[in-house]
Amino acid sequence: MTAKPMKRRAILAFVQDKPGTLNKISSLVRRKMYNVDTLTVCKAKVPGVSRMTITLREDDEAKVTQVLRQVEKFTEVIRAKELERDHSYWREVAIVKFELEEKQFKKLQQRYQLEVLDRQPHDIWIVQIAGPTDRLDGFLQDLGSEHLIEIARTGVTALEK
Amino acid sequence: MQGTELVLKALQAKGVKYIFGYTGGAIMPVFDEMEKQQHFSFVMPRHEQGAAFMAQGLSRASLSTEHPQVGVCMSTSGPGAMNLVTGIADAHMDSVPIIAITGQVATGVIATDAFQESDVVGVMMPICKQTYMPLAAEEVEKTIHEAFYVATTGRFGPVVIDIPKDVQLQQTAPDYQFNPRSFRPRLPGFYYHPSPERDVLHRAIGMINRSERPVMFCGHGVIASNAGAMLQEFAEKTNIPVAFTLHGLSAMPADHPLSLGMMGMHGTIEANRAVMNADLIISFGMRFDDRVTGKLNEYARNADVIHVEIDPSELDKNVATTVAINADVYRTLHVMLSDPELVCKPRRRWLKEVEANRRTMQESMATELEKGVGQEGKLLMKSIVSRLSDLTEGRDIVVPDVGQHQMIAARFYNFQTANSWFASGGAGTMGCSLPMAIGAKLARPDERVWSISGDGGFQMNIQELGTVMQLQVDVKIMILNNGYLGMVRQWQTLFFDGRYAGTPMQSPDYELIAKAYGIPYRKVTLLDEVEEALRFAIDHQGPCILEFICDPSEIVLPMIPAGGGFGDMIVSNQAE
Ligand SMILES: Cc1ncc(C[n+]2csc(CCOP(=O)(O)OP(=O)(O)O)c2C)c(N)n1
Ligand SMILES: [Mg+2]
Repeated sequence: MTAKPMKRRAILAFVQDKPGTLNKISSLVRRKMYNVDTLTVCKAKVPGVSRMTITLREDDEAKVTQVLRQVEKFTEVIRAKELERDHSYWREVAIVKFELEEKQFKKLQQRYQLEVLDRQPHDIWIVQIAGPTDRLDGFLQDLGSEHLIEIARTGVTALEK
Repeated sequence: MQGTELVLKALQAKGVKYIFGYTGGAIMPVFDEMEKQQHFSFVMPRHEQGAAFMAQGLSRASLSTEHPQVGVCMSTSGPGAMNLVTGIADAHMDSVPIIAITGQVATGVIATDAFQESDVVGVMMPICKQTYMPLAAEEVEKTIHEAFYVATTGRFGPVVIDIPKDVQLQQTAPDYQFNPRSFRPRLPGFYYHPSPERDVLHRAIGMINRSERPVMFCGHGVIASNAGAMLQEFAEKTNIPVAFTLHGLSAMPADHPLSLGMMGMHGTIEANRAVMNADLIISFGMRFDDRVTGKLNEYARNADVIHVEIDPSELDKNVATTVAINADVYRTLHVMLSDPELVCKPRRRWLKEVEANRRTMQESMATELEKGVGQEGKLLMKSIVSRLSDLTEGRDIVVPDVGQHQMIAARFYNFQTANSWFASGGAGTMGCSLPMAIGAKLARPDERVWSISGDGGFQMNIQELGTVMQLQVDVKIMILNNGYLGMVRQWQTLFFDGRYAGTPMQSPDYELIAKAYGIPYRKVTLLDEVEEALRFAIDHQGPCILEFICDPSEIVLPMIPAGGGFGDMIVSNQAE
């Protein structure tokens, strides 16, 4: 029996760009055993402030509120909130290296708008794909793991509408 | 100015009088400066853990005085700092504001596994409120001021400042300036929300007015915001009984007609039954710890919950609230008390029920209390604590260790003085009592301080007798010696078929120990010697040690087994 996959959530936090902030958040995740999928950090518009996007799986609303409050409790966290799925864009980028015959490759390229970064001999491709998580997952599924050589994924970053 | 001077300048500006410290290579410059200045009273523990607990004792006991002080402990890098860990983690669990200053190896060798280098910031981060490592002399003063602000603002907690040795020795730039008076820490992510919001408060008042069987919870937040008297006034005005967490004890006189005593695992029958049957819980400054709630899905099933708490992350953490009030307890009570809509109901039926439960509790204890001794005529801890309570009229400061004697002290000392009970609750750290009592006595020199330990916990920080000896700190030390790690033995009796694995314990000859430290000592084995020994301690000027030979088969009751619900409360012992 497989458990029903839990609802995916995204939390956006604005944090002070200080050593230790990421350490605190990641150790919180470990300590409280949250089901975190991805965690990304980048600079925000305001100097000295970073934006952190955390995606996790949780059905229980109260638990998500707890995560938010625990994150906000850190002195270094200026603000944290949950991003509503319908009111925000969640995107990630992957760089994928695989081996595939040209004919099949063309099909995939059309369907997934792949940007070719490199083509090497023996049908080896390095491409970039960007978009929502399920699109990346869909591509990987269509490609088939037997063709995959290596993959690098950024994790989700998000912006409110 | 040099980094070390700035450390001391900042501490002085923050009203620090005592420094609990233990020297070593990486903190020597600060100690050297301290010696030059001769401004602080220096207290040397015999182990850094002792320093952290002394700092806690000072902070906690002085909180309710006219001049609250923040306990400061100091250690060298590596092993010195690591020895502070337990005391700091304990302060974190119990929200006690202390400042720990640790020396660190010089910045040039950090991360090279230098001699006595430990990643202090990394180790401390999850067990304290905030950590700092100033990297230039110019940052030192600002850092310390900010550290005090963070430690004492909102929910209190320990703050660690790790100062590399070269930063201690560095001179500030010639144009360095710092004005402590105009300094405001810039902490955009640090929320502090002391005032309750109007609409939630109105909802709360409406619920209180409607309730038939309400009960109030008094937690550490009541002590921390000095709101005991106000809580009492509120209880009297609304006729609502009050149940206490371990840390809420002494906020209100223990024998007040509306006091239910302690609730939870070793709570009284009247407190736990009131919680079980309540239609409304109004909880002030506490966090619904598992020792308070027992099994969560059975907890207070028929009650609405109003939760007043300064730390928003505690709201809805363990128990779902009906109304959550994120605010300071004192201010909330103040506003509620003056609200004209607050109705004063007599609640006669509810209070009668409470009274009946209180009688059941008293009756269940009466035989033992009257007899005073258990198996083989050995002393019962409850009779010792009751006598102490009677003799001191419940007015003294009590600092228990962790174990059976702690729960018994919590239950049988009749607290009359506000903020007179300092225990290790969240962490339950054995060995805390003696050093914490030393700190408490320094904070309140005119009051009598009792350190009550078990034979196990006493041996964990027994070395602090050296501090008592050197400074002649007038702490009355009671060892309730039952020859066992009693609390664990109790669980073995009740839940492990009486297999006493790793709990029988031999003690040294405490008389010889006392003699070695030059501290007067009395041993008590008989019931009619108890009072005399206690009188001796009361009359004696200066520290003394009383050892009581106790019955190991005494069981702390009532008890709700770990993970059980309030319905599972064990009231009398059939096991032994
Ligand atoms: C540092 C530490 N180690 C272990 C424990 C677990 N523990 C809790 S109570 C207790 C027994 C305490 O024995 P004693 O000090 O003799 O007190 P008593 O219960 O006999 O009154 C133990 C081992 C603890 N709380 N703290
Ligand atoms: Mg014992």
